[in-house]
Amino acid sequence: MTTESPAVPAPPAAPALAGARRAARGRRSSHVVGKGVVNLVLLLIAACFVVPLLWVVLAAFDESAGLSVSWPQPWSLGNFEAVLNTDTTYRPMLNGFILCGGATIITIAASVLAAYPLSRYQSRYKRPFMLTILFTTGLPITAIMVPVYGMFVQVDLIDTYLGTILFMATTSLPISIWLTKNFMDAVPIELEEAAWTDGASPMQALRRIVLPLMWPGMSVVAIYTFIHLWGNFFVPFILLLSNDNLPASVSIFTFFSQYGQVVYGQLAAYSVIYSLPALLLYLVLSRRLGGAFAFGGAVKG
Amino acid sequence: MSTLTVGPGRGGTRRAPAPVALMRGLPLAPAVFLLGAFLAWPVVYCVWAAFTDMALTGASGADFVGFENFTRAFTSAEFHQSVFLTVVFTVLSAIIGQNVLGMVLALLMRSGHRVVRAVVSAIVIGAWVLPEVVAGYLWMALLGDGGSLNEMLGAVGLPPQNWLYTAPILAVSIANVWRGTAFSMLVYSAALSEVPKEIEEAATVDGAGPARRLFSVTLPMVRRSIATNLMLITLQTLSVFGLIWTMTRGGPSNQSATLPIYAYVQAFQFSDLGYGTALALVLLLIGGVFSLIYLRALRLGESMT
Amino acid sequence: MTVTFRQFGNDRVMENFLKDAKAEFEQAHAGTTIDLQPIVASNDDYSTKLQLQMRSPRTSPDLVYEDTFLINSDIEAGYLRPLDEYISAWPEWNNFVDTAKAAGRALDGKTYGIPTGTDTRGIWFNKEILARAGLPAEWQPTTWNDLLTAARAIKAAVPDVIPLSIYAGTPLGEAASMQGFEMLLYGTGDTLYDHASQKWVVGSQGFKDALQFLQTVYSEGLGATPQQVLNPNWNDTVAQELIPKGGVAIAVEGSWLSNNWLESGANPWPQWNTVMGWTAMPTKDGQAPGKVSMSGGWTWAIPQNADNPDAAWEFSRLLNDKAHQLKFAIDEVQIPVRKDVTADPTYAQANPSNEFFASLVPITTYRPAYAVYPRISNEIQVATESVITGSADVATAAGHYDNQVRTIAGDAVVAAAGS
Repeated sequence: MTTESPAVPAPPAAPALAGARRAARGRRSSHVVGKGVVNLVLLLIAACFVVPLLWVVLAAFDESAGLSVSWPQPWSLGNFEAVLNTDTTYRPMLNGFILCGGATIITIAASVLAAYPLSRYQSRYKRPFMLTILFTTGLPITAIMVPVYGMFVQVDLIDTYLGTILFMATTSLPISIWLTKNFMDAVPIELEEAAWTDGASPMQALRRIVLPLMWPGMSVVAIYTFIHLWGNFFVPFILLLSNDNLPASVSIFTFFSQYGQVVYGQLAAYSVIYSLPALLLYLVLSRRLGGAFAFGGAVKG
Repeated sequence: MSTLTVGPGRGGTRRAPAPVALMRGLPLAPAVFLLGAFLAWPVVYCVWAAFTDMALTGASGADFVGFENFTRAFTSAEFHQSVFLTVVFTVLSAIIGQNVLGMVLALLMRSGHRVVRAVVSAIVIGAWVLPEVVAGYLWMALLGDGGSLNEMLGAVGLPPQNWLYTAPILAVSIANVWRGTAFSMLVYSAALSEVPKEIEEAATVDGAGPARRLFSVTLPMVRRSIATNLMLITLQTLSVFGLIWTMTRGGPSNQSATLPIYAYVQAFQFSDLGYGTALALVLLLIGGVFSLIYLRALRLGESMT
Repeated sequence: MTVTFRQFGNDRVMENFLKDAKAEFEQAHAGTTIDLQPIVASNDDYSTKLQLQMRSPRTSPDLVYEDTFLINSDIEAGYLRPLDEYISAWPEWNNFVDTAKAAGRALDGKTYGIPTGTDTRGIWFNKEILARAGLPAEWQPTTWNDLLTAARAIKAAVPDVIPLSIYAGTPLGEAASMQGFEMLLYGTGDTLYDHASQKWVVGSQGFKDALQFLQTVYSEGLGATPQQVLNPNWNDTVAQELIPKGGVAIAVEGSWLSNNWLESGANPWPQWNTVMGWTAMPTKDGQAPGKVSMSGGWTWAIPQNADNPDAAWEFSRLLNDKAHQLKFAIDEVQIPVRKDVTADPTYAQANPSNEFFASLVPITTYRPAYAVYPRISNEIQVATESVITGSADVATAAGHYDNQVRTIAGDAVVAAAGS
């Protein structure tokens, strides 16, 4: 696992520092003990992070699970059998993929396009625009759903995938534009200038030169966007009326019954299944990124 | 791309005459259209709604009531408490918790063993990608009365805790640290990977101890990332809803009812849309105040252009 | 024609019930198709979505499943249409119990919803634990004091069980208001709301007495600890874990409780009907009628913006005939609102506790569920919470409640007689 900055060659180290490097090498041996301590502390922190996950794993295999953690007696796949059906899991998961996947793609496309002029040109509107965008990232979306519903009824987008995807994409645009613009700032303009002299248009330069260098960063934006949308319940719940269209984040309520009684074992099993896509997406992308996210230039400000 | 390049114009930017500027701004159109159509109008509507007594049910109609919703808020003890809790939650879980723990993890990762690094980041990021509702249930199961934490404490002879009852805001803050640390860790890992090793080594040669090296060499070199990350996680944390709602529903006695919770209850449980919306606007303002403080303190504004 | 209803979790009973009715209806009315729209969500979110849908003719369903908790405020908002014209030509309406009819009736005297089932509340007790404390298997408390005496005896004789489980506090929401406080208040002769003057009652002695009872239970350690009851999942824990494990002796609970323990429930417990007994909640000093119960339940209503109100009415008539209500009551462990269903032997045979809980319908009380009720109910929870945690005494908590009610209800407040 190495953390890579965006695939841009690091600046050559100043020659003045070469001596320091040699001097430091002599003290490496004393680092061995230090390394052991570091690894121990890291594992200790990881252990603390694992503890809360115990319940979901144990309860998922325990048909009579409650909220208290107990060893399953016996271990069974009954909870999974109970939730693995079209109505509860398959269709909502598929809907979730369509909604969140579609919205993520639109978000990324719009962000890349928007980031290019923001990163490459000067304008007196740029700063207010960026600050407004930043400000919008803190907007509580729940609070605006009532007018959004009214608007969707007026323009006949209610209960359509298209409308819901567009709205979901819009809610994640601010933070996405912000991160993308900062990633783009990290790509030196000299490379593009070479392309311009060869007669490429800015958009061609963006596609051929800038994007290939940015794509680790863009995977980060993609996964960040996807995770947020995947967990969002209120937006699809309000904008989609037909039960057949609802995504997985809404079907979690299947596990709460009339008087608030929760079937915890099934809830845990469903939680495991529901969390998998986000985990898998991370694993796939992080492997391609050489093991870790590259947040490189995105948050330099 | 090193952190050493400071100041504006990193991309070699330049100003252009108006028609050219318009052409150049064209790629912004899709984003601007989406934001304008789907976000700007609802926000404007909400600003108007905050000055009415709009309700989702009960006596209908939406009459203009001026600043009544705001005066009602500012004179209500519940509101004061919820603003206080929102700030506590944000400071504890984002500014202190996620930020410091993320930095500590990123620093340790630099000299950790490859396998250890892989395991630790997988686990920490695993907590981050879990859906909010699921995270809430995990923590309820952990901290609850018969939860696993008390079983563990009991096993080593310690008295049981009941933070969900005695210190709910602390409980939800810890859960939020658990959930959000990954983001800061990733940001700081990336930032630290760009700090040239030689500079730190040079400091060692000059006789600086590890602490001194950290505070006078390493951290100043990544201060930009710190500032930006703080701003992002602050804004994200201010509007956390699902996690708290699942764990405590804002209780007991509203002791964990941060503003998003309080606004939701008013708008959707008591159907008082006007008041709920006014509360949401206050939340936005708090976010604005935090942002301004960061921008001022760190002069970030100039680098964002 | 669209029919929107709330689906409770993975409980498919309602869905299957409606699917069968839909098939039957479409066969009888060629050309009409019914589109069933379940909404799976929490109560608040269900009502939010339903209200948004009913606001516009474009998205309004034709027939909706309305909680009696919200029907009055939806009527006030103009979302529903009166059904009196339909009802006057529907002789079967005479078979409905009067208390249930009232649940769908608004302040204007018109009926907006046809009750389809209800619930009642009473006392569940564990016979085995009571026997160890020297109490009879046919235990029947007639006053609040009997309850406290029994709880004290259990506390002394059987350690490590919760003698008397009664809900309070804000985290449990409506469960604390209804199963907890209102079951006490309505046994004192005082009420939350005065229907004659259409005003909310403040300053009643009954309010203080009910709080006093809760304070006694919690301060003497006769109930759960405040920590336990202030957990939003406490009622789940009691129903699904503690009662089957023998951790609770007496519980003030709902008629649906055995739902959890049936083969189809969250935590099957085959021995429940031999271990558990049930009896009515007594009034404070045994004053007539000697027992008290609170009821909620659901109705079928037709939105103002419905495109096909006549077809919707036809369908609701089918859903509310005797055969369908009987099936619904048995499958959903609901209390029937039709006398002929209650009297049907198959209903009583379906579940051993059915007969008893249905017998409470004539004396039950429906909440004054007007538009501000959710906020009033929240203030009740706040009052009970401050009393059980000891952060306020009874007089202070009641005084705070009175002030809050004045703020919420404005002029619609009346001081209780004798205060």
